[in-house]
Amino acid sequence: MDFSLSEEQRAWQAKARKFAKEEIRPISLARDAIADPAATFDWEMFKKGSKLGFRTMAVPKEWGGEGTDFVTQALVMAELARADSAISKSFSQCWKWSHLIAAVCSQEQKERFLKPFLADDTFVLGKGITEHSAGSDNRLPPPDEPKAGLKLRAERRGDEWILNGEKAFIANANIGKLFFIDARTDPNAPLKQGTTLFLVPRDTPGFRPGKVFNKSGWRFYQNAEMIFENARVPHANVVGEVNGAIRKTGGSGGDTTGGDLFGDLELSANALGICDDACETALHHARTAKQGGRVLFEQQLIKLKLNRMHMLTEALRSFVLRVAWEHDCRVHSVNAGLAMNYSTDVVQEVTELYMDVRGGAGCVMDPHADKLVRDSIIWSHLAGDTVQRLKVAGRLAV
Amino acid sequence: MFSLRLSPEQIEIRDAVRDLVETEIRPAAIKPARLEASERPLLTALLDKASGMGLRTLTLSEADGGAAADTLTGCIVTEELAAGDPDIAAVLAHTSVLGGILARAMTPAQRERFLPPFVRDERYHLAWAGGAAGKRSGGEWIVDGVTDAVGNAPLAKLFAVQVRMPDGTRTLLVPRDTPGLSVRPHDGRWFHGARGEVTLKDCRVPAENLLGPEELDPPVGGPAFQAIALGIGRAAYEAALAYAQLRVQGGRRIIEHQAIGAKLARCAMKLEVARAAVWRAAWACDHPEAVSDRSLPDLPLATVARVFTSEAMLEVAKHAAECFGAMGVMRDMPLQQYVHDARVCLHADRSNDESTLELAQALAGDRRAAAA
Repeated sequence: MDFSLSEEQRAWQAKARKFAKEEIRPISLARDAIADPAATFDWEMFKKGSKLGFRTMAVPKEWGGEGTDFVTQALVMAELARADSAISKSFSQCWKWSHLIAAVCSQEQKERFLKPFLADDTFVLGKGITEHSAGSDNRLPPPDEPKAGLKLRAERRGDEWILNGEKAFIANANIGKLFFIDARTDPNAPLKQGTTLFLVPRDTPGFRPGKVFNKSGWRFYQNAEMIFENARVPHANVVGEVNGAIRKTGGSGGDTTGGDLFGDLELSANALGICDDACETALHHARTAKQGGRVLFEQQLIKLKLNRMHMLTEALRSFVLRVAWEHDCRVHSVNAGLAMNYSTDVVQEVTELYMDVRGGAGCVMDPHADKLVRDSIIWSHLAGDTVQRLKVAGRLAV
Repeated sequence: MFSLRLSPEQIEIRDAVRDLVETEIRPAAIKPARLEASERPLLTALLDKASGMGLRTLTLSEADGGAAADTLTGCIVTEELAAGDPDIAAVLAHTSVLGGILARAMTPAQRERFLPPFVRDERYHLAWAGGAAGKRSGGEWIVDGVTDAVGNAPLAKLFAVQVRMPDGTRTLLVPRDTPGLSVRPHDGRWFHGARGEVTLKDCRVPAENLLGPEELDPPVGGPAFQAIALGIGRAAYEAALAYAQLRVQGGRRIIEHQAIGAKLARCAMKLEVARAAVWRAAWACDHPEAVSDRSLPDLPLATVARVFTSEAMLEVAKHAAECFGAMGVMRDMPLQQYVHDARVCLHADRSNDESTLELAQALAGDRRAAAA
C-alpha cells in the first residue's frame, strides 16, 4: 500500500487548485445566477483553462495531449469541482470523449479530429445517446423488447449516411464542435446489434442544436436538444463497424475503453470536489458564525454534522482514488460504478448537512449552500438513480 | 373520542378546495414560464378567489361570518391548497389561523371595530409580529421595534404585535395604516407566501387596541403550517405516480418495475404517516383536555409533526423527481420546484435541530406520564 502521489500528480493538483481559486471561484455564483441557460458559459475562463491543459489533459502524449493518468484526472476534476462542479464537468466532458477517440477511432479519424481538437481552445466535445423516449432503455436495454431504445435513424446512401431524428438532454449540444452520435442503423435488430456510432461535426448539413435546457443545478454546464433533418454524414465518420456502436462504447457490461469507464470515475471525482467545498466552508462557518453569543462549533449538533460530512467525504476520497488507481493498473472491477452510485448518496447528504449548518431562520438561504444542493441533485439521474444502480449490480454477475 | 372519520362538512370543503386546485390553481402555478422565472409572484387573483370561498375566515365563528373550522379542518384545507400552490396556502394559513385566535381574544368593542371589515374585504390579511417594546403615554401605547421575516407582512391590513410592556408581554392590534408602521417586503425563494420586515417607530396605538387579558401564544408553526409540507410532498408524489403509469421503459410502464413501484410505495408510506402525525397534532389542539385525561402524551406533538413531516416530504419530493430522470431537474418542469419547496419547509422559520432540542427539553424536564 502506498497512498503517496507522484511529483507530476501533485503538480497537476496544485495547478488545478490555483486555477480553481483564481479563475473559477470568483465567477461561480454569478454564472449560476444568470437566468438564461444559454448565457451562463464563460468562454474567457474556459480558454484560459484550455491553455493550461485542462481541456486536453486526457489526450495521449503521442497525439500531442497531456497524457495524464486516471489518478491525475481524478485529482484535477475534484480540485476544479471544489470551486464549481459544473465548470469542472465542462472541462472533463472533453476528456471523456477524447478518451473515446483515442480508444476507438481509426488513425485517419484521429488525424482528422484530434488535431483540430488540440489546436482550438474553444473546441468542445459531446456525445448524443439519450432521446425523449429513450433514456433508461439505452442504459439497460430490456432483453424482451428488441425495439426499445434510441430511435434516431441513419440510412446509407452511397458514401454518406442520412440521419433523421432528435436527441435530448445532450451535454454541450449547443456549443460543441464535434459529437459522437449513436444512431439506429438496423431498426429491426436489438439496440446492441443495430446501432452505429458516428462522428458528427457541428457544421454537418441538416444538423442543428434545439432548445437549450434550463437546469436547476449545474447551470454553467450546457445541455440542449440535437435535431437531425436529413443530416449528411460521410461513411468515413463511422466509428468502428456498422451496427457495432454499443460493443465499442460499453452497454450494460461496462466498457474498457473510455466512455463508461471514465464517466463513472468522473462523476465520483466531481462529487468529491463538491464535498470538499462543503466541508471546508461549513467548518469555517461553524468556527466564525455566532448564535446566541457562542460560535456554532460549540454546539454538539453542529459538531456531529461536521463529523459526518468529513467522514463521508474522506470515505469517498478513498474510493475515488482507489478506482482511479485501478484504472491506471488496468484492474477491471465494478468499483467505478459502485463509486459513482455511492458518490450520489454522499454528495447529497454532505451538501444537505452543509445547508443545515448554514441554515438559520428567516427568509434567506446562503446562495453558496443553495447552489451546492442544486448541483448535487444532478447526481440523482446521472449516477444514482435505480437504473444506474441496477446496471452496476448487473456487472457483479458478469 | 379519537376518530378519524371526517365530518360531511370536512369532506365537502376538502373536495371543493381540491377542485379549485385541480382546475385553476395548479395549472396556473406550474406554467413553464412561471417556473422558469427567478421570482415567483403571488397568484393574487386565485388567492382572492380562494378567499372568496371562505378559506381566509375559516376559523371565525359562524356568527362572526366564518366557518367555525377546527384545527384539523384547517390542516385539510391547507394541504389541499399547498398541493396546488404553497404560497397561496401559506398566506391563507396565516390569516385563517390568526383570525380565530384574535377574534376569541377581542372585547365586544374590538370585535365590532375589527371583524366586519376583516370579513367583508377579501384582501384583508393578518400578520403576527414579535419583538417590539411599548410604553404608555396617556390614552396610547408608544411602540418601537423591528421584526424580520414576518409572514404575510406585505399583505396584512392588521398586525398582532407582541409588545414588551412594563408589566409583561402583551399583544396589541396595530392597523397597517398606523403612522410609524412600515413594511419592507422580502423577495427570494426561501419562504412560502409573502414575508417582510416590520418596523414600528414611535408608533402610537390607542389603548383600546390592547388584546385580551394575557399574552397570546405565537400561532405560527402549528399543525396547519406542517400541512403545507404535506401538500408539497403529495403534489410531487401524485405527479410521479401519474408519470410512472404512462412512461414506458424496459418494455413496460415504469411503475411495473420493482425499483420504481417500491420507490412510489415508500413515498405513499411517508405521506400516510406524516399526515397521521399532523392530524394527531391538530386533534390535540382541538381537544386540549386530551392531555389531562391521559388520552395523549404531554409532548409538543406539533413539533413531532414538524420534524418528521418536513424531513419525510423532502425525501418524497426527491424520489418523485428521480422518477422523471433528467426532466426532474429542469426548471420548466414542476419537480425541481417541489424539491425546492420541500427544502423551504425544512429551513424556513425554526430549524429542525431547534425543534428537536425543544422536544428533548420536554423529555428532560417536567414530563407527565404518557397514556399508561
